[in-house]
Amino acid sequence: MAPPSRSARAAVLASSVQRSKPAPRPSQARRAFIRRAVVVVLVLAALTLLTVSFRSPTAGALHDVQGAGSTALRPFQIAATRVARPFRDAYDYLHSLANAKSENARLKKQNEELRKDAIIARANAAKYSQLPKLLHLEQGPTFPKDFRPVNAEVLSSPTGPFTHTLEIAAGSSSGLRINSPVVSGYGLVGHVSNVFPDTAIVTLLSDQDSYVAARDLQTGVQGGIQPGPSGTLALNDVQKQLVVKPGDVIVTAGTHSARYPDLYPYGIPIGRVAFANATDTAAFLQVQVQPFAHLGSLDAVAALVPTKPRR
Amino acid sequence: MTVLDGVKAAALLFVAAIAQVSIFSELHVFGAVPDVLLVSLVALSLLRGSIAGAVGGFFAGLLVDTATLGMLGLSSLVLTLAGYWIGRYGETTGRDRAHAPFLSVAVVTLLYELGLLVVHFVLGESAPAGAVVRSLVPAIVLNLIITAPVYALVRRLLRPGDRDELTAEVQLLG
Repeated sequence: MAPPSRSARAAVLASSVQRSKPAPRPSQARRAFIRRAVVVVLVLAALTLLTVSFRSPTAGALHDVQGAGSTALRPFQIAATRVARPFRDAYDYLHSLANAKSENARLKKQNEELRKDAIIARANAAKYSQLPKLLHLEQGPTFPKDFRPVNAEVLSSPTGPFTHTLEIAAGSSSGLRINSPVVSGYGLVGHVSNVFPDTAIVTLLSDQDSYVAARDLQTGVQGGIQPGPSGTLALNDVQKQLVVKPGDVIVTAGTHSARYPDLYPYGIPIGRVAFANATDTAAFLQVQVQPFAHLGSLDAVAALVPTKPRR
Repeated sequence: MTVLDGVKAAALLFVAAIAQVSIFSELHVFGAVPDVLLVSLVALSLLRGSIAGAVGGFFAGLLVDTATLGMLGLSSLVLTLAGYWIGRYGETTGRDRAHAPFLSVAVVTLLYELGLLVVHFVLGESAPAGAVVRSLVPAIVLNLIITAPVYALVRRLLRPGDRDELTAEVQLLG
């Protein structure tokens, strides 16, 4: 047995009698009119407000009324903010907890990159600090005539106590030849001992086979610069009766005989006398020279290439 | 709609508007903010019809524009139309449907955002369509999340009214 409501609905749906369209009741039409009138009025009012506000956004009566209204609403907004503050703090706390791990990883990565940048910046600053000095030497009055400088970056420094050579980023294509003198911004470094098209090997003054004819700039005493103890140099072959004093500047002696030209032109600074002593047992003075150039930490050097062909 | 209902609806929209501009507007989730005012207006319109929706939308928009010192009438225009259409939906096909609040919120969120975009564009103001479109889905989801509690609250506050008023223009067979 079907429920009464279902049978009643079936009877209505099954009926073939056409229902006449119900005539709208007066109250119904009136209600629709009121509804439409209300929405039209409200939309027009909104458009009017919008137009006035758009045309005079910073002045006018409407602007003043809006300002007053905003001031009146401010306490409610402040109250709402205060009520919500504990919830917001809790949300922020949970949010920060959720993001702490990823943020930590991001900050670590950022810190690592910044550290790399700082190291690179410091390295560049240290490297380029030698360049002005080198430029000063090249443009100064002590730079030898008939030579031009070929500036080169130091590619590899001496790797240990048994290595006294370094590789520079200039070679035969730049005019370098074997035995070309090499200087830094402070003084003589050594000479080119091997050369390739774009690189060259420089043998430092500290190498056991190195020998440079030198002279005391103050007293004119001449000798030969060779490696000394503890990274210093020694001015050898100086007669005991000659005078060499601590503090004297030692420079290259240059060529004395046209038949036997020296590798190094005259006047390149080598170092300063740190110690000079004569002993009864030794035939020559013991002169220790502190080199001007920092042979262990060179970043940029200049090879001297003759501008005129040498015999 | 009685006077008491009117007072309750006004208080509801006032609180919702203040909460929206003070609290919810700063709650950014995936580029969108939950719109408790819009959801409250939808609930009011479904429960009290198109006139209440339109009037409520107008004054709620006015309140928002005043509180935020925005362009007066802009929110009013969009919310008036939103309240009216949802009210009509509630008076006709959406009546007594369990999904009506959710469907209304989803549709009206979409239309509200696009409507604001169009109005801003027409006024020659900044109308970042890309950002609005990207935030549409999060905005709809956020509004749907708060629909159930807000609708339940509004329904509790404004108990279902006189059915004769709501059913006046739709004749049920059977």
